[in-house]
Amino acid sequence: MNNTTPASQTQPLEDESKYAASARNFRQNVARDLANDELRSNFRGAMDYLIDKRQSAFSDQDELETLRRQCQLIKQRCLVKLPLLLEQLEQQLTSNGIKVHWAETITQANEIIASIIESKQGKTVVKGKSMVSEETALNDHLEQRDIECLESDMGEYIVQLAHEHPSHIIMPAIHQNKRQVADLFAKNIEGFEHTTDVDALIQQGRKVLREKFCHADVGVSGVNFAVAQTGTLCLVENEGNGRMCTTVPDLHIAITGIEKVVESLNDVPPLLSLLTRSATGQAISTYFNMISHPRQTGEKDGPKEVHLVLLDNGRSQMYSDPELRQTLQCIRCGACMNHCPVYTRIGGHAYGTVYPGPIGKMVSPHMLGLEATTNLPTASSLCGACGEVCPVKIPIPKILLRLREESVKPVGDIPLIMKGQGSGRKPIEASVWKAWAAVHQSPTLYALSMWAVTRARAILPQKLGPWTQARTAPKVAAQTLHERVKLRNSQKQESGNE
Amino acid sequence: MNNARANILSKLHASIGDVDYEKLPQESSYAYASRSRQQQLAHFISQLESNHTQVIKTAASDIPTHISQQLKQRDISRLLYGKETHFSSLIEQVKDNDQQGNNSVQSSIDLVAYDFTIDGNKERLFNEMPASVTTSHSAIAATGTIVLWPTPQEPRTLSLVPPVHFVIVDAKQLFARFEQLINTQQWHNKLPTNIVLVSGPSKTADIQQTLAYGAHGPKELIVLLINSDEI
Repeated sequence: MNNTTPASQTQPLEDESKYAASARNFRQNVARDLANDELRSNFRGAMDYLIDKRQSAFSDQDELETLRRQCQLIKQRCLVKLPLLLEQLEQQLTSNGIKVHWAETITQANEIIASIIESKQGKTVVKGKSMVSEETALNDHLEQRDIECLESDMGEYIVQLAHEHPSHIIMPAIHQNKRQVADLFAKNIEGFEHTTDVDALIQQGRKVLREKFCHADVGVSGVNFAVAQTGTLCLVENEGNGRMCTTVPDLHIAITGIEKVVESLNDVPPLLSLLTRSATGQAISTYFNMISHPRQTGEKDGPKEVHLVLLDNGRSQMYSDPELRQTLQCIRCGACMNHCPVYTRIGGHAYGTVYPGPIGKMVSPHMLGLEATTNLPTASSLCGACGEVCPVKIPIPKILLRLREESVKPVGDIPLIMKGQGSGRKPIEASVWKAWAAVHQSPTLYALSMWAVTRARAILPQKLGPWTQARTAPKVAAQTLHERVKLRNSQKQESGNE
Repeated sequence: MNNARANILSKLHASIGDVDYEKLPQESSYAYASRSRQQQLAHFISQLESNHTQVIKTAASDIPTHISQQLKQRDISRLLYGKETHFSSLIEQVKDNDQQGNNSVQSSIDLVAYDFTIDGNKERLFNEMPASVTTSHSAIAATGTIVLWPTPQEPRTLSLVPPVHFVIVDAKQLFARFEQLINTQQWHNKLPTNIVLVSGPSKTADIQQTLAYGAHGPKELIVLLINSDEI
């Protein structure tokens, strides 16, 4: 790729995630998706459904708040101990027979996974749902190396057939309705008998995918919790595809972000309870799969080799600042997006990133840099719904404000916290605020400017860019408050003198 | 091969610095109201049933009869099971039992023991095994959950691949909550290759939030609950 490609074009820069380019197009994406009525109604319906489900799973406010506080503290403890826990996890997994790999970038992670697969002459991969593998765009990478990688979660399978990426982290195909899925199957599955009956559609998918599970060389999965104490990989799922991917093929490769490690087995039950209830309103998922070893002597099934890839990709940057570190508390339940008025309206693809919605606006700037994502933290009304439903109490609106600040910080004279810091800084905007600050620090300048503005009210512009697209421009008063109070006092005095 | 490990760990160590772990805030868990054993059992059953699971209360000795009946209702004539378990001799009666109750035709239930490794037998496992039966390790009342603890006798795929899964659950092994189970049995001391918590048949709502069963794993989960009168 051409190194001189300017950032404003839609081609990703060298060694950059393809999502950086689509995130730069945020405004165009939003305009495109807001104009799509079917898409908007699919999202509205889905979000109402998920909000309702969550609500009914938390009937006891007291329990909910106690659990949220407990899980917040669990995650914060695990983060404070993160480097130690990662080392402990590695040691335990290794002694259990599971091989551990570390990757700083998505390119490294993809390279590690591809090499493991190639070393076993693997040709076909079935993948359980893993957002981290979406983050690395693993499918694209494996395809380039002539390895077939098939998504096996029903939603992910649909999204893959459509050559899209997930629009929601829990329900990847939420942007499609059953008619659209039926059309997609008709185009892609041989012998598909056209139907919009959901049961029949799922059975079609099941047929195709079971065939794949039966013959795949490799299973790839994500991880929900990695337990340092015991060296255990925990997976939460409903469909059973996760169990298939981690049990049937000879080789299982799990990939996860470094923040998924928890200290002990005791940390798991409260986190699991909040995760499934916040995500889909289920008391527990259909399956909770705990993997601690590859196949041991005498056992009749299970992969002969298990690998875990631990990915950084911007997480150590989040970790470097105490406020931003809270981002890593996230357990990926999706409740913040379900409750977000912006996400509900623009949908998951408009963000252009792997993780959409409030959580996406917090993590993507670290993964892709603030330059590519400078608009994302501003796509929030700061209504606070996300923070209120967050099971681990991440102060999402506060972190979004912080990211806005980071993106307009002057570059150069302050320590660099984030990649792309200050890239949203515009000279005009910066000087306007500088002037504003100066005026408000000097009583004389303030009085003078107020006098000028009130006298110029008739000639102030009526069109103020996007602000006046749906509003009338604010009208400045004829006199300043100071003048009116002064006038009133003098009138009082006069009437008192009479 | 790579410096990734050292780089990541050194960045994390540098960011967090020295921390006094003693000073971390106190974590407290919610005190759930305690339920009687009967209440726990009732809750367990109702949770499972609301998750599309059939629960049959039975005496252990009647397990073969129930399995035969359920198989016959579904027109299934083959059952995969694990040898040398606590219940294997009972399960082996499924065949006899069926012969007794079905005198006009010869035995119609083909009982297959999972005594082979999966290598080279995947096709057979995926295409020729319509039902299976397993034992269970324990159960959790709060969430209506059955804990499977696969062994060489009862491999992981035994409860996963066949479309109908019978599972024998002992009410005496019912625990109130997951955390209680982990602590009582000191799970952290030694974990097996795999543990699976199962709370219903395989399902998905990935197409337009419409619930459909039998996404990839078993379409039906049938619980044979023993000792439910004795607690």
